[in-house]
Amino acid sequence: MSRNAGSDVRAGYLFIAPAIIGFTVFVAYPLVRSFYLALTKYNGLTDPVFVGLANFRRLFTVDPAFWPSLRATGYLVVLYVPLSLAIGLALAMFCNQRFAGVRIVRTLAYLPVVLPAVATITLWKFILDPQVGLLNTVLEKLHLPTSTWLQSPTMSMPSIVLVMLWGVGGTMIIFLAALQAVPTELYEAARVDGAGPYAVFFRITMPMISPIMLLQVILQTTAALQTFNQPKILTGGGPGFSTNVLMLSIYNNGFSNLGRIPQLGYASAQVWVLFILIIAVIALTAKFSSLWTYSDNTPD
Amino acid sequence: MTTLPTDPAETVAAPALTAAGEEPAHPPSRPPGSTGKRPLRTTAWYATALFVCAVMIVPLLWMITIGLKSRNAVFELPPRLLPHEFSWRNFIDGPQAIHFPRLLLNSTIITALSVLGGVMTAMMAGYALARLRFPGRKLWFYLFVGSMLLPGVVGLIPLFQLYKSIGWYDTWLPLIVPAFFGGNPLFIFLARQYFLAIPYSIDEAAKIDGAGHLRIFVSVMLPLTRPAWITMAILAFQASWNDFLNPLVYLYSADKWPLSVGMAQFVSPFAGQTPNWSYYMATNLLYMLPPLILFFAAQRYFIQGLGSLGSTTQK
Repeated sequence: MSRNAGSDVRAGYLFIAPAIIGFTVFVAYPLVRSFYLALTKYNGLTDPVFVGLANFRRLFTVDPAFWPSLRATGYLVVLYVPLSLAIGLALAMFCNQRFAGVRIVRTLAYLPVVLPAVATITLWKFILDPQVGLLNTVLEKLHLPTSTWLQSPTMSMPSIVLVMLWGVGGTMIIFLAALQAVPTELYEAARVDGAGPYAVFFRITMPMISPIMLLQVILQTTAALQTFNQPKILTGGGPGFSTNVLMLSIYNNGFSNLGRIPQLGYASAQVWVLFILIIAVIALTAKFSSLWTYSDNTPD
Repeated sequence: MTTLPTDPAETVAAPALTAAGEEPAHPPSRPPGSTGKRPLRTTAWYATALFVCAVMIVPLLWMITIGLKSRNAVFELPPRLLPHEFSWRNFIDGPQAIHFPRLLLNSTIITALSVLGGVMTAMMAGYALARLRFPGRKLWFYLFVGSMLLPGVVGLIPLFQLYKSIGWYDTWLPLIVPAFFGGNPLFIFLARQYFLAIPYSIDEAAKIDGAGHLRIFVSVMLPLTRPAWITMAILAFQASWNDFLNPLVYLYSADKWPLSVGMAQFVSPFAGQTPNWSYYMATNLLYMLPPLILFFAAQRYFIQGLGSLGSTTQK
């Protein structure tokens, strides 16, 4: 360890200076500023005018699109997060076995994650086409019921979740790393004791990966709450308000160039609703985590 | 669940340090049906594997076949899985329809600069946080880590306002400059983890030889932390190449767009027009190609980088 204190301090601040400036300008300042903007009427051209809580009042009582957008966001989270975690974990456990070709499965499962979102989402837009899309074609061949997918008010959100789930390899890879970190001796000991697969899963695997599970619940939920690309490209929020998630609503109020006046103050209020939801999720998950996570290590 | 024989904090953290240069640890479980006693189980196993592969690969193959079909063949009913004649021209005419070379150049410049800036400043910050003692170092570390949980959307509108007021709207600067200021806190965190694992005797030796911090950082630390910054460079490449929301918000002029925005415009139905799907899929393939090549070339870094991420976050 360095004893050369003076030069350490100078060099330390020199090396960390860009990150500190970045944190101040691109993280701390916008955080404070966005709270102020949420309390203003601001169109991006003239100066913001302070209006107090008027934006929030309008959101919760006047705006006909706000409650539907909250509902759509909630529906997306409730549908996507558990499925993504369950499939991701199942896939990780499958890929954690030793069999010929396991690397190919692992690679292919992760492949969609590296592809650009716009590229894969538009590809799925065509796959979900009711007439000439691949999905209906295959379902017809198998004599299974088809759907109009994105154009149906009831199937539009499940379709979006389906597209998101194609990227489940991202969840898988994190779980895979967690599974590989579980000491082999535990499994050997369980085998010697004659534990069945269910006992092994619930008494060894789950407790050992529970910290990662906790992290994944938080990350996946916060990411799902901020879903933008899929509804923007696949449905534009429709049909009706069925896929008009909060992020899309924020974008449309603040930035859409459909000839409307941007309402940046109003959009900021929506951002804060979203932000508070995210904080609530993190707080709740962390609060209840002690019920189901196994942990020996105290945070440092 | 009463007593577990080993301390998970230790055993779980260990792979993070070893993962750097070697293959991931061997999976612990037995091969399915390894004794040959259960052929049925083996069959089920491979059926599952096949199904997973098919779900992942078939959409991509489907995209390629559409890219090879003529415009009318795409709308044939019932749809054919394979084109009966190959329209290779889609790969020339499709890209031309959206000025692909221009968008490609834009994407390349934006991505190259943000990778350079993001990796460089994160490595510098990681070095300072892990190996130099200065007041406030812990505080900054916690602030950086904390900002990982902060949703990006909170900054969207104030930053838009800021960039607009200093004349950066409709330029590439909002997409590039933040990277040069430690743009991704995850990278700072990763860099610090790697730097912590390097023995201190190495830089003490360099110091005795008279090297300054800059010299140690460039000639000693950067070669030692190669897996770390390669991982970051790959992730930064992906993030920038795939980013859609930011360029959509900050860039107005079509000639400044990166590929992501250009490709999305390609299929946005305006004036009731049906997008030319065969052109689109051919072009889409070209857009996917760089990340695809990178993925296969740097596969072990992808798996390792994210793998070590998974285990270091438990520390």
